[in-house]
Amino acid sequence: MRLLEQIGTYFLFMKRAFSRPEKFSILYRQTMREIDKIGINSFPIVVIVSLFVGAVITIQSNYNIENPLLPRYLVGLTVRDSLLLEFSSTMVALILAGKVGSSIASELGMMRITEQIDALEVMGINSVSYLVMPKIIAAVVFFPVLCLLSIAMGLLGGYISCIAANVIAPSEYIYGIQYEFRPYYISYSLTKTAFYALIITSIASYFGYHVKGGAVEVGKSSTKAVVQSSILILLANLILTKTILQ
Amino acid sequence: MIEVKNLYKRYDDNFVLNDVSVKFEQGKCNLIIGRSGSGKTVLLKSIVGLIETDEGEIWYDDQKFSHLDAVSKQNIRKEMGMLFQGAALFDSLTVEENVLFPLDMFTSYSRGEKLDRVNFCLEKVKVSKTNKLYPAELSGGMKKRVAIARAMALNPRYLFCDEPNSGLDPETGIVIDNLIKEITEEFNMTTIINSHDMNSVLEIGDKVVFIYKGCKCWEGTRKDILKTDNEALNNFVFATRLARQIKS
Repeated sequence: MRLLEQIGTYFLFMKRAFSRPEKFSILYRQTMREIDKIGINSFPIVVIVSLFVGAVITIQSNYNIENPLLPRYLVGLTVRDSLLLEFSSTMVALILAGKVGSSIASELGMMRITEQIDALEVMGINSVSYLVMPKIIAAVVFFPVLCLLSIAMGLLGGYISCIAANVIAPSEYIYGIQYEFRPYYISYSLTKTAFYALIITSIASYFGYHVKGGAVEVGKSSTKAVVQSSILILLANLILTKTILQ
Repeated sequence: MIEVKNLYKRYDDNFVLNDVSVKFEQGKCNLIIGRSGSGKTVLLKSIVGLIETDEGEIWYDDQKFSHLDAVSKQNIRKEMGMLFQGAALFDSLTVEENVLFPLDMFTSYSRGEKLDRVNFCLEKVKVSKTNKLYPAELSGGMKKRVAIARAMALNPRYLFCDEPNSGLDPETGIVIDNLIKEITEEFNMTTIINSHDMNSVLEIGDKVVFIYKGCKCWEGTRKDILKTDNEALNNFVFATRLARQIKS
């Protein structure tokens, strides 16, 4: 019963979030701020993680393809498909759930306990729409950019490991990442990322907005937001993979 | 004028507000006083609509606020200003942006006109030259002043203050109280102040309502308080031994 109640509250919350904003100019300004806060500020972590993961996948793929009958360029192909199909969308989303999700939940939680959200309501502003809609729009628009960045950085990481660790010849790696390339994989990856963006921002906002109590509860809501959005990302991954790649 | 009629609010089996009826007058500082946990914050938040009551009516002049739809409620809220206990300034905005916020939201003034209004409000509460500072860089008293400036930015008809001088020293508290009284009279607002500070009551309490265990126990003016024989109110007002000695 409690779960059903929570799901119902979540959908009512989302309905309020997508009601007509007070002023579109303010929505635009807020969205730009959020793109900077949750998008641009996530560049470093996405770049670092993707570079290293790309390099590691390259080394591991090479280690596992020992059969002399298999061409070496398969290493590049494996890295490309791993990044496109899973890592740059799902794994990056899980990382962002930790970074962005906890930040949103604690920001809104603090606003709740310091009565800043009440102040918005008393002014006659729909606080959910004002605070949450720009975050969702910013994430849905910008997380796919982070996904593309992650793909590029992962491939670069693999290339660097080819040179630095002498895994395979860089020319074979380049040939492998171009071999049998299906552009459809990119749109698949971007579609998944857009869904994950919606999950991360809405779940984190929901938990942050509904905080009751003090600093301890803000911490708890932040943890809940990360855990629940991570679980939902994995569930969505399963459903989307089955639906889109069928 | 704001009037509440037969207000009830219950959490589980515990009545936090029990048949509260009271009129708050325009152009005056109306104080709600009572011990911690007596229900005064619930009453104030019910009046502004932050808490849904179980029964009763809330009237803003001739409009029955408690029974309005969300859109009509929002229109009345645009005429409200509220000063919260912790000031509730937006952390990520500067002082200027905080006061500008309601103007940006609800007016179509030019940028220059809005800034003129911001500077007027900040001067009124005597915190000019803090425009570019963030709330974290202000003292408690300054935060309250900026919150008053934000509350008065749109020239509200109704002003609500939840414990405006909590956490402030008595002298600063009186300065804040006098500021509220001054703008209430100047702009003819209906002001409701929630307080348990007797200095405030005796300084600015044009009308005082005493809430005791969720019920309206007494109402009158600040002068009446000193003469009342209401036992609960006397215990609250003359809580210290020294105060009781002075009274007797």
